[in-house]
Amino acid sequence: MSTRLPWIIKYRPKKVAEVVDQDNAKKQFIPWIKAWIEGKKPEKKAALLYGPAGCGKTSLVEATAKEFGLELIEMNASDFRTREAIERIAKVAATKYSLFGFRGKIILLDEIDGLNAIADRGALNAVLDLIEATTHPIVLTANDPWDPKLRSLRDKCLLIAFRRLPKRAVISMLKRICESEKLICEYDALSLIADYAEGDLRSAINDLQNVASISKHITLDVAKPILARRDRQYTPFEALRSLFFSKYAWQAKRAVTSADIDYETMMLWIAENLPYQYTDPEDLWRAYEALARADVYLGRVKRTQNWDLLAYVFDLMGAGVALARKKTKFKWVKYSFPQKILLLAKTRERREIRDAIAKVLAGALHISSIVAKREVLPFLRIIFNENPEYAARIALGLNLTESMIKFLTPKRYREVLRELAKLKKTA
Amino acid sequence: MASVEVELLWAEKYRPKTLDEIVNQEEIVRRLKQFVKSRNMPHCLFAGPPGTGKTTAALALAHDLYGSGYVRYVLELNASDARGIDVIRTTVKEFARSVVPGPIPFKIIILDEADNMTADAQQALRRTMELFTSTCRFILIANYPSKIIEPIQSRTAFFRFTPLKKEDVVARLKWIADQENVEYDMEALETIFELSEGDMRRAINILQAASALGRVTVEAVYKVIGAAHPTEVREMVKAALAGRFTEAREKLRALMINYGLSGVDVVKALHREIFSAELKIPEELKVIIADYLGEVQYRLAEGADDEIQLSALIARLAMLGKRLRV
Repeated sequence: MSTRLPWIIKYRPKKVAEVVDQDNAKKQFIPWIKAWIEGKKPEKKAALLYGPAGCGKTSLVEATAKEFGLELIEMNASDFRTREAIERIAKVAATKYSLFGFRGKIILLDEIDGLNAIADRGALNAVLDLIEATTHPIVLTANDPWDPKLRSLRDKCLLIAFRRLPKRAVISMLKRICESEKLICEYDALSLIADYAEGDLRSAINDLQNVASISKHITLDVAKPILARRDRQYTPFEALRSLFFSKYAWQAKRAVTSADIDYETMMLWIAENLPYQYTDPEDLWRAYEALARADVYLGRVKRTQNWDLLAYVFDLMGAGVALARKKTKFKWVKYSFPQKILLLAKTRERREIRDAIAKVLAGALHISSIVAKREVLPFLRIIFNENPEYAARIALGLNLTESMIKFLTPKRYREVLRELAKLKKTA
Repeated sequence: MASVEVELLWAEKYRPKTLDEIVNQEEIVRRLKQFVKSRNMPHCLFAGPPGTGKTTAALALAHDLYGSGYVRYVLELNASDARGIDVIRTTVKEFARSVVPGPIPFKIIILDEADNMTADAQQALRRTMELFTSTCRFILIANYPSKIIEPIQSRTAFFRFTPLKKEDVVARLKWIADQENVEYDMEALETIFELSEGDMRRAINILQAASALGRVTVEAVYKVIGAAHPTEVREMVKAALAGRFTEAREKLRALMINYGLSGVDVVKALHREIFSAELKIPEELKVIIADYLGEVQYRLAEGADDEIQLSALIARLAMLGKRLRV
C-alpha cells in the first residue's frame, strides 16, 4: 500500500495569494486581521466565514496565519462541550502575548454549525462569552450561516461570504497539482473531475488523488468509472476517506450512511481497509471491535426485524471506527475492493467442486456433507498428494471426476489420471 | 486380479454389517438384538460422541431385521444436509406411503445429526413421527442428547453410546491392517488411538491415509495428522501475535477457501492451537484468547459475518502480542 500525504494537506496554500479565487472574501478578511495586528481592535471581534464545503474557508485562515506570523489556535466545536475546555480556551484568548514569538493569535472555531442546538446550548453561550472577552481575533466557519441556531452568533460576527468555486479555478488548481506530481493529464479528465466536484476543491483534489492512485496517466477513461456513480452520494472510496478523516461522531455516521452501497457491503469495505489506514495495533483493535459490535447489532436487527436498532449499527461502524484512531496519523492510503466479495466470486467453482466431493463422500460413508468436509476430505487429500496409484483406485471406487481429482491434488493430478487410465484398461 | 483394483474408504469397507460383528457397546447390542427377536421396535434415540458406532448400529439393526436387501426398507436422512423440516416431512411422507411386502410391518427412518435441528423443527418432527408411527420407526442420532427436546426424548428408547476403549480400537485397527496387508508398528496404532480420541471413523481414516505413505509408523501417523491440520492455523496465530495483520488475514482466507473451513471451524482449530504445546505463549494469555474465542464462536453461531468477526479476532491477537512485548 502506498502511503503518502493526502494532497488536500500537501497542497494547502501557504500564502493568501495562493488561496484559489475568493477575492471578495479576502478583501474583507485581510483588513480585519490587519486591524488586529496593528492594535486597532475592530468593531466586530469575531468573523464568520461561510460558504459551501471545500471552497477555501479554513485554507484562507491558515494561509493568513502563516503569512502574517500569527499563531493559529484551532478549536473543534466539540471541545466546547466541557467546562475545562471552555476555560482553557478563555485563558488562551485572554493572554496577550505568545510564548513562541508569534505576533499574535487567531482562534479558529471550525465547523460551528456542527454543534447541536439543543444538546450543546451551553456551548453556543460559551462561544458568545468568548467573543465578548477575547483579546485576539476569533474566526468561525460554517456552511450555512442562516441556521436559526446561529442567529445570536451572527449578530456578533463580521459575516464574510465565500462563493462556490468556478470550474476554471478548480481546473487550474488540479493542473498545478498534476504538474507538481508529474502526472500526465487530459484536459477532459480534469474537466470531468471539476464538474463532479461542483465547486468543492477539496473533493476535486481527493478525486484526483483517487484517480492518480490507479494510473499516472489521468485520462477520461480512467476517471469516469471512479466518478461515475455520484449523485452527491459517496462512492465507497469517498465514504471511507470521509469516515477515516472524521473528527466528530456525526461526521463519521454521515460518512457511512451516505455511501451509495448498502450498509452490509459498506461494513466489508471498512473491514477490508482498516489495516491499511490504522497501523497502530491498539487503534486497529479498537476499530475492529467497534465494527464487530456493529455486525452483532445488525444480526439482531435482522433476526428480530427490529429496524429501530439500525441506528446503533451506524453508531458503531461509523463513530466507533472513526474515533478508535488515537495514535495513528491520518495518511493517504489506496483503498481496495473487499477481497471477501472478490474471492467468493473467484472461488465459486472450487467451492462447488469441493461440495460435490463432500456429497459423494457423505453418500458413501453415511455422514453429512459437513462432517465429510471436516473429517474425511483432509485425509483424502493426503492420499492423493502422496500416493497417485492408491489415489487412482479410490477415485475409481468413488467414481470421482477429473475436476474432483484436480481439486484433491493440484500438484499431482496428472499422475493420478494416468494411473486411473491404466486401471480402466485392465478392468 | 483386476477386480480387486478398486479401493474403498476403509471406514465404510470395514463397517460391521450385522449386530454380531459389533464388538463393543455390548449392552446396546444386546437390547437391539431383542428388537430383532421380537420383530418390533420403538422409536429410538442413539446418542454419543462421533465415531462410537451409532450409524453402524442403526444399519446393522436394519440388516438383521430385513436381511441383506435392507436398503429398500431404510430411509437415511441427515438433518444438517436436508434443507429444513419441510423437506424432511415431504421425504418421510413419500417414503412411508409405499408399502413393501415382508414379515416386518414397518420401515426404518434414520435421521442423523438430529441435534442440529432447531427446537421448532424438532416439534414438527415429533408430529411427523406420531403421524407415521403405524408404518415407520425413527432412529434419531445425536451427539448431544440434551439438545433433543423433552417430548421427543420421552417418546424414544434411549441408547447412550460411550467412547470406545483403547484395546477395542487398536484391535480393530490391527485387524484392518492385517486384512489390507499393510505393514505397521504396534506403537503407531496406539498413537492413532491417542490422536483420534475414541472416534473409530477418524482412527480408520488416519490408518488409511498413513498406509498410503508406506509402512504405518509413528512418524507417518504424525505426518498425516500434521497435514490434516492445516499449518496455516499456527502461521496465522504467529503472524497475528507478531503484529503482521495482513499476513494473518491472508492465512485466514486461505484456510477458508482452500480447506473449506467455516468461520466456526477456524475458531475451533484456533482453540486447539492455542492450547497445543508447539505454540509458546504465556499461560494466562491462553485463557484471555480462549475467552474471546468463545465470544466469537457464539457471535458466528448467531449469524455474524465471519470475515468481520475473525478480522476482529486477529486484531485482538495483534494487540495482545504488542502488549506482551512492551
